[in-house]
Amino acid sequence: MNTEVSESETEVAEPIRRSFLFAVSAAVMAFGLTAGYGMFAWLIGVFLYPFRESAESWQFLSDLGSFGVGHSLTYQSPAGQKIVVTRLADAGTVDDFIALSSVCPHLGCQVHWESNNARFFCPCHNGAFDKVGKPLSGPPKDSDQTLPQYALQIKNDLLFIEVPTTSLT
Amino acid sequence: MVTAVRNWFSERLPISGVQIAELTNEPVPNHLKRWWFCLGGTPAYLFVVQIVTGILLAFYYQPAPSTAYESIRTITHDVSYGWYIRSIHKWAATLMIAAVILHQMRIYFTGAYRKPRELNWMVGMCLLLCTLTIGFTGYSLVFEQLSYWGATVAANICDTVPFAGVFFKRLLLAGDSYNSQTLPRFFILHAAVLPAVMIGLLVVHVGILRLQGITEFRFENEPDDKPQTFNFFPDHFYTELTIGLILMILLSVLATVLPVDLGPKADPLTTPEVIKPEWWFYVSFRWLKLFSGTFAVVSSGFIVFVMFVWPFIDGWIRKHTRYTEASVWIGIVGVFLLVGLTVWEAIVEH
Repeated sequence: MNTEVSESETEVAEPIRRSFLFAVSAAVMAFGLTAGYGMFAWLIGVFLYPFRESAESWQFLSDLGSFGVGHSLTYQSPAGQKIVVTRLADAGTVDDFIALSSVCPHLGCQVHWESNNARFFCPCHNGAFDKVGKPLSGPPKDSDQTLPQYALQIKNDLLFIEVPTTSLT
Repeated sequence: MVTAVRNWFSERLPISGVQIAELTNEPVPNHLKRWWFCLGGTPAYLFVVQIVTGILLAFYYQPAPSTAYESIRTITHDVSYGWYIRSIHKWAATLMIAAVILHQMRIYFTGAYRKPRELNWMVGMCLLLCTLTIGFTGYSLVFEQLSYWGATVAANICDTVPFAGVFFKRLLLAGDSYNSQTLPRFFILHAAVLPAVMIGLLVVHVGILRLQGITEFRFENEPDDKPQTFNFFPDHFYTELTIGLILMILLSVLATVLPVDLGPKADPLTTPEVIKPEWWFYVSFRWLKLFSGTFAVVSSGFIVFVMFVWPFIDGWIRKHTRYTEASVWIGIVGVFLLVGLTVWEAIVEH
């Protein structure tokens, strides 16, 4: 078998081999850089992303028998939020009750009750809500945002509410 | 002896006085003798003031909800000249934002953003957004009522952004709502991340400026034979030094006559009856009151996007329509809106 390679064949083969090796090494380098630094970027993202949800728990509110229709009670959560819970109906289900959050659904400020105007008012962007949390005016009215409600549940004729349990300071 | 020392240094720092002169003595167009064309150097000078005073404040500031407010009280009332350093930091921030806005208006109304300077306008826009964000994170650190509710509102604005909003809100607050790990994030953003980004952007901003040269203007009353440039060093350098000195005097007077105090401590359970952000956010604050949440946020984003790509929009208008000076009229409307909404928010309670 003739293993000799002519001079002209060598001249062609060298640049092809060189450019092939260059392309392969460039691809390996690009993969290495992407994988290495990409992994590092992913790690930074995971490191910075919050690692726990906010703590909430179910707290006892009242027994159903002593909570009549039309009555309200003010409850203070372990984190300090004052929550007004009202009974609107007598069906004996959790839908009878409403526990309004004082966090404005627009951008998260605290609303307060204005007794002279019979409304909840948010001082940040002038949002207003009626006593059951329906929007009356301001940006929440424009986008039909009601005051959020705390989750309630009934167990063995006892009413429970789910509230935050940790305060900031 | 002197020669020996000089030789020792010249061996280790092989650069001659002539080379330094060549590097710094870029010819500067004549219009820069007018002070309003030097507004770009003003925020840069104030940025240096912010870095120096910020480092000093960081010696005492403790970024945690239980300690932040007290540490600022200590800086303001107990530490020697703490009130002065903090007031300089606050007033320099105010002046820096004002100077950045004025600088951008000057660039806009003189058309200095036009081809081939579109990219530098966009770098400038990034610097504007960084300046506003560093201002916002700055007053969030005080942990007074405005700090807490400002941060809450900003995080919920993020939440309103379609698609990625919730992700960014959680990333900003380190949770679903303001918690004990939120304040350290604002501190790191304010004192490390944003300054580093801004230094990088400033290097690019000034680098592009040096590569392209400053836009040259000729005024109508100038004689044709007047030299069109003057030396950067020492002529323009002295102008900048003078502006720096005037700013330092102004800052000192403001800090002494109107020192910064502390508002009520943050109370997560009570939003104050009257609450407003710092003046530079009055426009957005009023905008948020005028429109529903999503519309206000999306439209603000759209306006910022238009500002970013304005040089290209303006180029298209000038090429394809006969309204070659449309940018001036659009700019005037923009300034009226900016000033109008700011004044409106300033004079009303709600």
